[in-house]
Amino acid sequence: MSLVALSELIGASVRDPSGAVKGRVREVAVVPQDHATRIAYLIVRTADGERAVPAESLKSCGPTVRASADVGSWEAYTPSDGLLLLKRDLLDQQIIDVHGRKVVRVNDVEIDSTPLNSHVALNVVAVDVGARGAIRRLGRGVIPSFTLRALLEKIPPRVIPWQFVDLIETDPARRVKLKIAYEGLSRLHPADIADIVEDLPPAEREAVFETIDEEVAAETLEEIDPHIQVSIVESLDSNRAADIVEEMDPDAAADLLADLPEARSGEILNEMEPDERQEVSQLLEFGERTAAGRMTTEYIAVPETAVVDDAIEALKMFEGSREALATIYLTGPGHRLVGAVPLVKIAISSPAVQLSLLSEPFLACAPDTPDDEVAALFDKYNLLTLAVVDNDGRIAGIITADDVIAMLRHRH
Amino acid sequence: MRRSWKSLRSRLLMILAVIGPGFIAGEGGNDAGGIWTYSVAGAQFGYSLLWAMIPATAALIVVQEMAARMGAVTGKGLSDLIREEFGFRITFFLMIALVVTNFANVTAEFAGVASSLELFGVSRYIVVPVAAAAVWLLVVQGTYGTVEKIFLTASAFYVCYIVAGLLARPDWLAAARATFTRPAATGIRDYGYVYMLIGLVGTTISPWMQFYLQASVVEKGVTVRQYRASRWDVIIGSIFAAIVAWFIIVACAATLHTGGIGITSAAEAAQALRPLAGEYAYLLFAAGLLNASLFAATVLPITTAYTVCEGLGFESGLDKKFHEAPAFYWLYTLLIVTGAGVLLLPNFPMIRMMVLSQVVNGIVLPFVLIFMLILTNDRELMGEHVNSRRYNVVAWATVVVMIGLTLTMIVMQR
Repeated sequence: MSLVALSELIGASVRDPSGAVKGRVREVAVVPQDHATRIAYLIVRTADGERAVPAESLKSCGPTVRASADVGSWEAYTPSDGLLLLKRDLLDQQIIDVHGRKVVRVNDVEIDSTPLNSHVALNVVAVDVGARGAIRRLGRGVIPSFTLRALLEKIPPRVIPWQFVDLIETDPARRVKLKIAYEGLSRLHPADIADIVEDLPPAEREAVFETIDEEVAAETLEEIDPHIQVSIVESLDSNRAADIVEEMDPDAAADLLADLPEARSGEILNEMEPDERQEVSQLLEFGERTAAGRMTTEYIAVPETAVVDDAIEALKMFEGSREALATIYLTGPGHRLVGAVPLVKIAISSPAVQLSLLSEPFLACAPDTPDDEVAALFDKYNLLTLAVVDNDGRIAGIITADDVIAMLRHRH
Repeated sequence: MRRSWKSLRSRLLMILAVIGPGFIAGEGGNDAGGIWTYSVAGAQFGYSLLWAMIPATAALIVVQEMAARMGAVTGKGLSDLIREEFGFRITFFLMIALVVTNFANVTAEFAGVASSLELFGVSRYIVVPVAAAAVWLLVVQGTYGTVEKIFLTASAFYVCYIVAGLLARPDWLAAARATFTRPAATGIRDYGYVYMLIGLVGTTISPWMQFYLQASVVEKGVTVRQYRASRWDVIIGSIFAAIVAWFIIVACAATLHTGGIGITSAAEAAQALRPLAGEYAYLLFAAGLLNASLFAATVLPITTAYTVCEGLGFESGLDKKFHEAPAFYWLYTLLIVTGAGVLLLPNFPMIRMMVLSQVVNGIVLPFVLIFMLILTNDRELMGEHVNSRRYNVVAWATVVVMIGLTLTMIVMQR
């Protein structure tokens, strides 16, 4: 087996079995529907039009390409959407390096060429994003090829194995044909996905958000700079936007919708499920810089008569964010807040213990408490969560420590 | 409650978000190199170069609008687009040309800083290193955002030139005639005249401003829908910049040319503001030049570092650590250190260098413009927002004229 660089292959002369030069390589095509890495054929420019020469009829592949079949048998090339053309779609374009968690530009593509029966099997193995690919392309045709080769040997390679490469394609139909699903990307931590997305141009951001799983999209969106958040959501169609917003923390969703033009946020709210819509619209009514504006309405509250086992059941049913789980709230008649039990206490108590016995002195604030006071309470009492109660002592929502940290950081 | 407050705030933000990049890029033409080139042009050639301002302004509007439109439609920087459409090799050589050009411009900005403070008798051996260190820190520490506002406010200084121009009692009729009539063809046979003409266009339409403008449009997240406001920002910014330039030339022509003075020092250039500020003219001039130079000295090196690293695919960004983006930080640092450093060479001809940097701008401009023209006519990239015929005519004419002028200059030098 040997490695061939795409930049060496492009422009290489193609010889027929008699050794006569019959054309030059213009493109290298992969058909992702058939095989993810295998090169299906080379597109060769000949004297009478472009031909597709399949890899099965190549004897060798390198700075010169030898075909085992006569020119007469090379089929005419017909362009198609379902082809991944390595030069056009990869070379000089941006890709996502899933392993390194960043956006990089492709300098070259490494292709493995292995003799198989009487032809060669060609596979894409890696993309070159380092100096080696850059210098190869600068020097090609200017520096004698053996000097260039010797020079390149001395440069440490910086390549990304193909399985860690996520392509970015902005055309949805083509994305399906090329089987681009951002699988690698989706497996990253939402905060890392957010960093990557922030580095992409708008159309590419939209492509990622149209494709990845709604839940991942929602968590990612929460981590993204508010300014970019807005432009992403504006670019998505309302239906898709609503699906993602539903999965977000209600308080984050409300913040986001508040920053959108009114007509647009209305459209998205309309597309949402009634329950989520109600929660979010309630939050929208509050001032953004108050306790009510920061709070989430997804928390766990159980009746004061409940036992530890009931709390564990409630935990299992809970679908909100994990930050809200630090405390379990106890409510009396009329949903009034009467107690708070830290999660740790539940974890170490036996199932039949009454929760009210585990309850600790708890703090709560009014919905209109300003940001500063909320932060001061968290600081002074080392809180993980803080309940927000209305005038009648009913619990309206809770604020979690991560929201307070985000709020403090945003001020700088 | 959140609603009403929000709608007011978002409307304000809309205006602020969009007004800016075009205006700043337009004023970028009136940096240290710009002020000196216009001053020298007025002092040396009187009104006889004024005619160039109208075609130069038209070209400026067209070119900047192209850059802003590309940014809004594609969401990508100019060097990104050049790399994606033209490949690595072409990008590499263009970036080298840009680094050389911008290096000359960085030197000019620091020369502006030095010459403004030399009016107060402060030695350049103190001023230049301090200014270089300050600029470096300002950008790397990320406090630039607030400082930008100060610079912008201080740009109001340019109004001084307009007032000085008015008070200098220039020969309005002659100035107007020189602006609106076709120039005599004899000028083209004078090497100094052609040299100055290239510099004049090069400072009005600097190549680096196009990269900066497109990047800021992308940065601000201006979309195609908000683009209409951006276009006005570009047009108004360009016209304002051109008016200021016109008045600098007129003020210098009236005070320095008719007096038969050439410009060999900042003290002489400051005389152009005498009609306004009397014996305090030098104070006003120094403050204005200092502001313009520092402003451009902060923007230019970092813009260059971003442009080059994005085009060549190096890691870039001030949010990265030094070891994460070494090429970016090294390029940025070297540009400042060497750009400012050469000024410390004994007898470094600062004024000649400032004008020369703008001539280099004028020579490189058509090549950048060719790339911009190919890109903005690419339907696959720009969709329905490709250039109109009129735009193409103006922009291609600029390319042809600038290359023609450069060739003329080379031939004459032989």
